[in-house]
Amino acid sequence: MNESENMTRDVAAPVRDNAEVVEALNRRYEAGFVTDIESDSLPPGLSEDIVRQLSAIKGEPEWMLEWRLAAYRHWLTMPEPDWAKLDIAPIDYQSVSYYSAPKAGPKSLAEVDPKLLETYEKLGVPLHERARLAGVAVDAVFDSVSVGTTFRKELAEAGVIFCSMSEAIREHGDLVRQYLGSVVPTGDNYFAALNSAVFSDGSFVFIPKGVRCPMELSTYFRINAINTGQFERTLIVVEDDAYVSYLEGCTAPMRDENQLHAAVVELIALERAQIKYSTVQNWYPGDENGVGGIYNFVTKRGDCRGADSKISWTQVETGSAITWKYPSCVLRGDRSVGEFYSVALTHHRQQADTGTKMIHIGKGTKSKIVAKGISAGRSSNSYRGLVKIEKGADGARNYTQCDSLLIGKKCGAHTFPYMEVKNPSAIVEHEATTSKISDDQLFYCLSRGIGEEDAVSMIVDGFCKQVFRELPMEFAVEAKKLLEVSLEGAVG
Amino acid sequence: MSQAPSPFVRAALDAATAVPPSGIAWLDAARRENLESLAETGLPETRNESWKYTPLRALSQRAFSLADTGVANSLAVDPASYALPGVDGSRIVFVDGVFRADLSSLEGGEGVSLAPLGVALEAQPEPLRFALANRYRRGAADAFAHLNAALATDGVVLQIANGTDVARPVNVVHVSSGSQADTAWHVRVLVDVGQGSRVDVVEHFVSLGDAIQLGTVVADIVVREGATLGLVILQDASASTTLIRRNHVRVEAKAAATVHALELGGALVRHELTTELVGDGARFDSRGVFALSGRQHVDTQLEVRHNARDTTSDALWRGIADGRSRGVFRGAIVVAEGADGSDASLSNKNLLLSAQAEIDTKPELEIYADEVKAAHGATIGQLDERSLFYLRSRGIPLAQARSLLTLAFCRAALESLPNEALREHLGDLLVAHLPTGPSDALVTSAQ
Repeated sequence: MNESENMTRDVAAPVRDNAEVVEALNRRYEAGFVTDIESDSLPPGLSEDIVRQLSAIKGEPEWMLEWRLAAYRHWLTMPEPDWAKLDIAPIDYQSVSYYSAPKAGPKSLAEVDPKLLETYEKLGVPLHERARLAGVAVDAVFDSVSVGTTFRKELAEAGVIFCSMSEAIREHGDLVRQYLGSVVPTGDNYFAALNSAVFSDGSFVFIPKGVRCPMELSTYFRINAINTGQFERTLIVVEDDAYVSYLEGCTAPMRDENQLHAAVVELIALERAQIKYSTVQNWYPGDENGVGGIYNFVTKRGDCRGADSKISWTQVETGSAITWKYPSCVLRGDRSVGEFYSVALTHHRQQADTGTKMIHIGKGTKSKIVAKGISAGRSSNSYRGLVKIEKGADGARNYTQCDSLLIGKKCGAHTFPYMEVKNPSAIVEHEATTSKISDDQLFYCLSRGIGEEDAVSMIVDGFCKQVFRELPMEFAVEAKKLLEVSLEGAVG
Repeated sequence: MSQAPSPFVRAALDAATAVPPSGIAWLDAARRENLESLAETGLPETRNESWKYTPLRALSQRAFSLADTGVANSLAVDPASYALPGVDGSRIVFVDGVFRADLSSLEGGEGVSLAPLGVALEAQPEPLRFALANRYRRGAADAFAHLNAALATDGVVLQIANGTDVARPVNVVHVSSGSQADTAWHVRVLVDVGQGSRVDVVEHFVSLGDAIQLGTVVADIVVREGATLGLVILQDASASTTLIRRNHVRVEAKAAATVHALELGGALVRHELTTELVGDGARFDSRGVFALSGRQHVDTQLEVRHNARDTTSDALWRGIADGRSRGVFRGAIVVAEGADGSDASLSNKNLLLSAQAEIDTKPELEIYADEVKAAHGATIGQLDERSLFYLRSRGIPLAQARSLLTLAFCRAALESLPNEALREHLGDLLVAHLPTGPSDALVTSAQ
């Protein structure tokens, strides 16, 4: 518990008197600071040459370069998607720099630039200490290159591979080649194709047969250099009867220009394997007028390839100016299970269009979706989901619950679930509600002497409980704090 | 459109040359404009979100000429083919889109004005100008609205004077002759329910034969302040009929509209039901059932827009798909900014009875106000096994238990219909349409 409390930022301290409330109203993004270290970046722009240079910098084998080039050529032929309920200013892909690495290039944690460590300190993530205390191995990605990997030894003893994607391409080429792009093909969608062409780094996890990963694996991402899109590529392969829990958390410093982020995450679960993937996303959301903020276009997909496998997505999305994200499960193996638990909070002028896709292919497959949306300010928050039952999915079962909470008169909360059923033995259920915080609940709290802000955050916390309890504990605490911070100034 | 028009569009353009000029300049201009819009847009494709689950590829390759008015006028029609119990008020009958005075009885008592569009236009065209010339302008409509606006020469004009309580339901009957193969007919409907009035309208689609035909109906309905409209739609067309219908209902302050829709027939059926609650305290209830078999494709697009304060909507729709049929449902609730106090709910439940059938449903909520209650639920599944077991344990054979439960499942949507004789009749029709024997898939899943 101590560690979790340490992670707590001052902002999370309960707001008690008026002066503090006023201050909170005007508070800027807490994690917004820029670490001043030199970056080694490619010039802005995207072309085959840039892709070749990027691949050369990373010392990649020929097949990887060809893979990237194929993706780039395909990307050129694709139209930008516009179906989401998002109002996006046109993105100039030629003004983005597609690679930046911290210049120091440390080989181990001991060599890590102290300024960098300071950054983590500010974020409450002192890598070397807390990671060990909390029993979490941290593969910290600072901008685009992994600067430190801990617990390598303990994991290696268990036979687990947990390293940066660049390293995996160099040292576990065969594994990467076998699985990369097998869940999200290079041409899957516009942003996945872009990512495939220019991804800079990311994490690779391989859990061999029968191994239960001895600790929760965690990566903290940060975007740092000005105008560098962060193009992460994560690949997690879990073999028969193995298990892993993976945590991903994001914070980013304050910027006035929109930054592009297009990540791809691929999960592969073989026979009886289980993957639990948790995300707390807190990219810079832009200021109260919607200036700046990250554009977050993420493709996340899990493939339950083996029978009786299970993939569970849990996400808490509070950041980014624009979130376009649909973590999905392809339930291919018989009796495989997919889960999606989500809290998406939007404030000020944030826009989120997020949800999931559950594709039932195998017999007896099950999926559960719990999505909670909270909109405040002038934000727009949409749930968009697909549950598809294919012909062969006998006895497939889905349950979906989507709830939206509105705080304020100018925000929007939307629900767009799609249900497509082609098997007569399947059962698909969907429920959704939209409401504001009830006056009764608020009145009850106020009559018990609880201040309005605290009351709202209590009610919101209760609203999200179903999702929070799916998170690993440290994450659950952080998520709760994040919601409190994000909602400040939303009431009144 | 850059590519060549599809056979469907080409045939429509040809058909337009056979439409006699109305003699009203603005009307002819509007028809021309709609024809141009149709040629420009072409039929919607599945890339169009609204048509995602209803491909029109096959339809776009068919060429429909206009149904021959001479044939439609002289065709012998047995009134028993459209007689409905409990529906004994004034009646207007169209055969292949042609008004049949001999089958209609327009007299509806004081305050009720029921006339065919052609007659209304001759008498006083100007009041109809907005609806016929401006309503579906370029960009504001899709191909079928343009098609209807360009080619519909007849239709219904129903006006209820303020403060009129119409005791007996008004009956609008669309008969497809089923004898003029590859022909199309188009009917335009305008209904205006005056302030504080009350009226029931029963719209009935029937076919007399099996020739392939297309029918389009575009209806604009206004329910004025404090008025009450009950609309019942019975669609029992032949399995070779394609029907594209669009109902736009505008409900003013403290007025209420209720729709009961029963979709039984048709090959390809699209029903767009858009309701706007524009006045404070307006209310809209909708109930509907589709029961499909064979290769039927029925697509219901319900959209309820809450644009004023303290408006209420409640929707309850049921679907059954057997054989190789496909049922599509979209139920959207939109609560506009400032529509505080809105209360909206929608329930859509479906039974999928065959391994070759498919159901696609998409309930949507778009909420821009915070003082609201909005909820929707949708399910796709099978009959409850425990209920089946209970009935069988009481000595009821499986097949009968199944049809009992299926009927109960659908009837929920018809129960609130106040016209008892009509309600019973619709229930009987539904029973006749439900699959009789247990389908194989169900037997295996019940084991």
